[in-house]
Amino acid sequence: MSDIFEFNGAKGSGWSQPEPMKEGAINAVPSSLRRSTLPRWPRASEPELVRHYTWLSQRNFGIDNGFYPLGSCTMKHNPRINERIVQLPGIDRIHPLQPEHQIQGLLSIFYEMQEMLEICAGMDQVTLQPVAGAQGEFTAIRCIQEYHRQNGDIQRDKVIVPDSAHGTNPASAAMCGYEIVEIPSGEDGRLDLSALRAAVGEDTAAMMITNPSTLGVFEPDIAEAAEIVHSAGGQMYYDGANFNAILGKTDPGRMGFDAVHYNLHKTFSQPHGGGGPGSGPIGVKAHLADFLPSPIADREETEDGGATGDGYRYFWRSPTNSIGKVQQWHGNSGAVVRAWAYYRRYGRELELMSEHAVLNANYLRHQIMNPNQEHQNSIHSMPVDGAPSEVVKHEFTLSMMPLKETTGVTGKDIAKRLLDYGYMSPTLYFPMIVPECLMIEPTETESREVLDKFAEDFLTILSEDPEVVQTAPHTTDVRRVDEVLAARTLVLRKEFDD
Amino acid sequence: MDQLPNLGREQEMLDSMGLKSIDDLFSDIPEEVRRMDPLPLRGPQSEEEIWADAQHLLGANIDLDSRPSFLSAGLARNFVPTMVPMLATRGEFLTSYTPYQPEVSQGMLQAMWEFQTMVSELVGLPVSNVSMYDASTAAAEAITTAVRVKGRKATQKGVVYVSQFVPPHRLSVIENYTQGVGIELRTLEHNSDGMVNLEAASAAVGACAVYVEQPNAFGELDEGITQMKEIIGENTALIVGVDAVSLGIVEAPGNYGADIVVGEGQPFGIGPTAGGPIYGLFACKKEYLRLMPGRIVGKTLDEDGKDAFTLTLSTREQHIRRHRATSNICSNETLIALMGAMHMALLGPEGLEKLALRVAATTEVTKQAISGISGVELVDPNTPNFREFAVKLPGNAADAVAHMDAAGVLGGFPMGEWWDSMSSCLLIGCDERTTQSDIEALVSALTAWVEEESA
Repeated sequence: MSDIFEFNGAKGSGWSQPEPMKEGAINAVPSSLRRSTLPRWPRASEPELVRHYTWLSQRNFGIDNGFYPLGSCTMKHNPRINERIVQLPGIDRIHPLQPEHQIQGLLSIFYEMQEMLEICAGMDQVTLQPVAGAQGEFTAIRCIQEYHRQNGDIQRDKVIVPDSAHGTNPASAAMCGYEIVEIPSGEDGRLDLSALRAAVGEDTAAMMITNPSTLGVFEPDIAEAAEIVHSAGGQMYYDGANFNAILGKTDPGRMGFDAVHYNLHKTFSQPHGGGGPGSGPIGVKAHLADFLPSPIADREETEDGGATGDGYRYFWRSPTNSIGKVQQWHGNSGAVVRAWAYYRRYGRELELMSEHAVLNANYLRHQIMNPNQEHQNSIHSMPVDGAPSEVVKHEFTLSMMPLKETTGVTGKDIAKRLLDYGYMSPTLYFPMIVPECLMIEPTETESREVLDKFAEDFLTILSEDPEVVQTAPHTTDVRRVDEVLAARTLVLRKEFDD
Repeated sequence: MDQLPNLGREQEMLDSMGLKSIDDLFSDIPEEVRRMDPLPLRGPQSEEEIWADAQHLLGANIDLDSRPSFLSAGLARNFVPTMVPMLATRGEFLTSYTPYQPEVSQGMLQAMWEFQTMVSELVGLPVSNVSMYDASTAAAEAITTAVRVKGRKATQKGVVYVSQFVPPHRLSVIENYTQGVGIELRTLEHNSDGMVNLEAASAAVGACAVYVEQPNAFGELDEGITQMKEIIGENTALIVGVDAVSLGIVEAPGNYGADIVVGEGQPFGIGPTAGGPIYGLFACKKEYLRLMPGRIVGKTLDEDGKDAFTLTLSTREQHIRRHRATSNICSNETLIALMGAMHMALLGPEGLEKLALRVAATTEVTKQAISGISGVELVDPNTPNFREFAVKLPGNAADAVAHMDAAGVLGGFPMGEWWDSMSSCLLIGCDERTTQSDIEALVSALTAWVEEESA
């Protein structure tokens, strides 16, 4: 294996730049502050680096390489027009502090996105500033915190989350200083209203929940849950990670939520980029709007037609009791523009996206859970549903516990074996309430043929020699990676000999 | 609709499941919360129409490259090598997610391990994560990390001193991240020449941390910061926010005792992009490793004994530790960090130094030229600057910016937007791309305003 530091050409080789405007600029730095030795970065030419990064890319698996059923992460196709648009100088070469009249186009896109997201979620005001889903959660909980403080409700120091919640929910609330009250799910994996009733009280600041839940099933009692929390004086927070399942069919506003975050990198196809960037706008009901981060895009009618020709002048507005800022500029504007381009493709037909996401999830679940006779005869043990349900939403969970009991093959083994078949693995061991859990989200951008083939291969793996599955993967760049060794030795950078 | 492979085949799929209609798939949503009417939104568009609208709307913006521009305030009007976006947007990188399955993610994992190494070398500290959201969240989480690590021994419980000149938009992020978790922010005063008041700094002895920026918000380099660690001692963390490019000529903070270094990674890898996506640098001493935020890649072996990379120390993170996690960060800015790594690798050590010298040179030349305008004074005439400097104008700086704007020059940032007391101060930002003619245009536009103002 070679790494980038093995490119070590002549001193000063590499990418050429113009000369400094004047000589002796180093004298601007006081001698005691001057850098003593330069960082040991590679010395490489462009052709070498192009080949290095191409080689690395070929050892990485993205949606473009194949089916990526990573539950909860919504790994759908990323339209390429969106990437072309963000290369335009009107976004790439824009400074967030430019005078408003110079960025009317950007402001109009922000305004359009705020409005669209408000409509889709049944909220009164959206801000696009949070740059990831987790930051959206944090921002909304901060707004709720200020709302309670303003009402003199300072004794509300607890946030309720179900035990099936995304880990970011309790982590975000804890970062605001809240104590977390975790309530157990019912036996069917759904929200347990009696547990909720027992948990709420004068100290309840909010409840955070996603619907459909992380098990991929819709919480039928959600409106009643909202009622319970509200009558105790708490606020309802909607984790929008699974919003792509219900867009146009229902919305958090109708369900009784006060605040919601959206994942533009999930529902609205902003590419995940190996771990980010994301974008996590939040929407709130009117009573929380005053607390949102600053600024928000706004507009007023103008007689000169406006810079974009739509009759409006756009401007930044600061909410009166704003919590301030959660990212120092206006958020991930580039992600907002990509999501805008995605929204424009669907427009009012966004509902189709949810319909197909749900159709594909149910279809795949059906294909896996109803094996033909041949598979039935050879499969060691079938998985069981993570939650009993007639229909699921955009994803579903399977427990591989029966297989583990009969053969010793774990969920992790199945996940690794799927890599051999050319798939990314489903989300593994989440939610934690389902033993040996695989969480599968096919998304709407997979064809029936891909789903059929995946189901077929999945069932084949359930029939395979357990030894083969337990030692998987066999065909990948590297075999099973020693994570324990990594955590023990902690080789977190290249060490140089010199 | 060209994004849905199964469009038109819904019925056959429903039939095979024994369902009648798409509605059956949503029958679990109680009627009282169902939306029955269509979304009141515009109609769908083709790719061609979207492109036309994008060109129209984004074309209505005035971009930084289209005129002389001296607006920086923490972001760089850089030049990103063409290779960077072309390779970073390869589908294998662009459309992957967090490498939870290292066996099929070696490419991104190795690229991030190389990134960690380059950042570690840049700032002079052994550990780097794979990015924070931006400089402000990196600074905020550096503070919470330092309090976790130093809190027990601190005699000033939960106290963190923050430089007086951290700009309010960054300070606001820090306040939001620290307000609920028992951290008290106190102001670290600066002298009238802009430099940190080292005598006042001794008040921070026994506190959990000190956060300073080098250069500060006025672009001023401060020699005193190199003595800070000696003053505050081992039990108080020194956190330094940097201009990453400056480190081509300015000492790496790790070499003068910094415990944690943060900063905007943006100058390496991506344009200002209206403020995001960009990425925050976060590097620290080993002491902070187990309580720091963000993803970290480690080098290890596979079961055949072959070198391999994987995410490590995940037990700090929210998906394992939940409310006891060191941070809620999940999605970060990996792709932008990848772009940064590519840019750093292309520059190489001497290229970095040259880039820094280019910025220092335009800063110096612009400063000289501006200080020659009668009625315009440097706020701190004797301090060295990198990238930015502040001048005091004979009137309101916002008026000056508007006046220069009308003359086709983006003349800087009116500092009254940050601090009321500085309404007559203009922050002028330079970069490697500033030209002589840009500087002449700025001098001429500012001179014209001064003359009009004093007439």
